[in-house]
Amino acid sequence: MSVFGDRVQHARHAQMAISERELSQLNRELDELHESTFPQVRKAIDELAANLGTVVRQPSTRRSFFLGAAGAVALGAAAACSSRPTGTPASSSAAPPAPTETYPGDLKVVAVATALENLAVSSYEGALKKAGAGELGAVPPAVATFVQTAMKQHADHAQAWAAVLARAGKPPISDAPLSITQDQLAKLSAAKSVPEVAKFALDLENVAAQTYTFATANVSDASAIMTAATIQPVETMHAAILNFILGDYPIPDTFIGTGNALKPDNLTVR
Amino acid sequence: MHNRFRQLLRDSDDLHSDAMRAARVGLNDYVEAARGSVAATAGIAAGDDVAALQTAAGLENVAVQTYQLALTLPFIGGPLAKPEIKTFTERTMAQHSEHATAFNAAVQRLGGKPQTGPDPKYAEVVKQAVPNIKTPLDAVGLAITLEDVAAQTYVKDIGLVSTAELRQLFASVAGVESQHKAILLTVQALLKANEPQLIARPPEIAQLPAAAGSAGFPDAFYPTAMAAPVEEGAVK
Repeated sequence: MSVFGDRVQHARHAQMAISERELSQLNRELDELHESTFPQVRKAIDELAANLGTVVRQPSTRRSFFLGAAGAVALGAAAACSSRPTGTPASSSAAPPAPTETYPGDLKVVAVATALENLAVSSYEGALKKAGAGELGAVPPAVATFVQTAMKQHADHAQAWAAVLARAGKPPISDAPLSITQDQLAKLSAAKSVPEVAKFALDLENVAAQTYTFATANVSDASAIMTAATIQPVETMHAAILNFILGDYPIPDTFIGTGNALKPDNLTVR
Repeated sequence: MHNRFRQLLRDSDDLHSDAMRAARVGLNDYVEAARGSVAATAGIAAGDDVAALQTAAGLENVAVQTYQLALTLPFIGGPLAKPEIKTFTERTMAQHSEHATAFNAAVQRLGGKPQTGPDPKYAEVVKQAVPNIKTPLDAVGLAITLEDVAAQTYVKDIGLVSTAELRQLFASVAGVESQHKAILLTVQALLKANEPQLIARPPEIAQLPAAAGSAGFPDAFYPTAMAAPVEEGAVK
C-alpha cells in the first residue's frame, strides 16, 4: 500500500537509472545486513535503557516496528492531531483524570527522537516509492544507494530509541506524532525531482542533527546523552553527502546549531 | 621512509576498520562510552573538563597544521590542485582553527591554560607522514584519520564532561568533524575508483558510482574506540 495515495500508482518512468527490482534487491540485502547486526544493537540498548526505566511491558519486535514505520506517513497526519499515543487505551466515559504526561522528563526527548526517526524512515521510504513510480525522473545509482543506506540507519536509530521507551514501560511510538509531520509530508509529496527530494531530505537531516545536539545538553540521563551523541554525527554526515549531491558546499557550518531543533513541545502526544 | 608511511597508513586503515567492525558487531565502544558517561550524571572534576578541552584544542591544532602543510603540496594547494580540493582544504583548516579557539575559550572560562600546541601523539603521526605524501589519496587517508580521531574523541567527551554547555560544545564540533570525514571518505572512494573528475561541484551525479552514495557514512552509530584519552593533550 502506498503511503502517498493513488497518485504514485501510475506512470512508470522509462529513464530510471535503477529499476524497482534493483531497489527491491538492495532493500533485501540491507534487510539481511540489518538482521545480522540487530541482535548486538539490541543488547547494547538493553543496557542503556536500564537507566531510564524498570518495567518491561511489551517490548516491540523489529517486525512490528517496521510495520509501524511503513505506515507512519499515513498515520502521521492523524497522529499529529491526536492526543493519544500508540498503545494507550482509549479513555472511558468516566470523568477524565487530571492529565499526566505519558513521557515525563527525559522520556519526552526520547519520544521526540523516536518520532523523528520514524518520520525519516517513512520519508525515505516514500522517496523510494516515488522513484519506483517514476515520479522523480532518472534516479542516479549513487542517490538510490544513499537513500537505502540512510533509511536503514534511521531505522536503527528509531529502534534504539523505541527500545528505550519499551524498557521504561512506556507506550511505543510507531508513527510520527510531531508538529512538523504534516508539513514535511506535504513537502515530500510535492517533490517532483531528485534534487527536490534531496533538498527535502537535507532539511530533515539538519533538523535531526540539531535535535540531537540540543538533546545532549538537555537530557540528564547518561545513556540518553550518549545515544544522542553517537547518532548526531551520523545525521550530519547524511547532510554533508546531500549537500554534495545538490552541488552545495558540503560543510557550510563551523558549529552545529540548535535553532531548528525539535523540542519536547513539538511532540503532539502528551 | 616512503614504505614506512605506507605502513603507517595501512596500520591506520586497519585500526579504522577494526573500530568500525567493533561498532557494527557489538557496539562495544558505544556501551563502554555509555558506561563511562555515568560520570556525566555523577559529575566529574572541573580539572577533567579542562583536560578534555585542552586535548580537543590540541587535536584541532594538529589538524590546522596538517591542512596548512597540505596546501603547500602541488596537488592540494598548488597548480595541479582541483579547485574543489583546494577550497575544501582551506575551509576545513579555517573551521578547525575556529574549533580550537572555541575550546581554548572554554578552557579559559574554567580558569585553565589554553592549549596552543598540537596533540603530541598525532603530531608525531603527521610529522612522519607528511613528507612522504605523494598522491592526493595519501593526503586524504591521513586527513580521514585525523578527522575521525577528533570526532570520536568529542563524541566520547560528551559523556565525560560535567556541564550541559560543554556537552553541547563537544556535540556541535563533533558533528562538523564527522562531516569532514564523510566528504573525505567519498573523495577517497572516487579516487580509488580512478574517477577524480567526479570530484566536482556540482558533481555529475548520474555518473557517480553507486558506492559513492554511501561511502561517506559507514556506521549507524558513531564509534568511539579511537577516542584520544582525556589527558592526552592536557597542558602540563
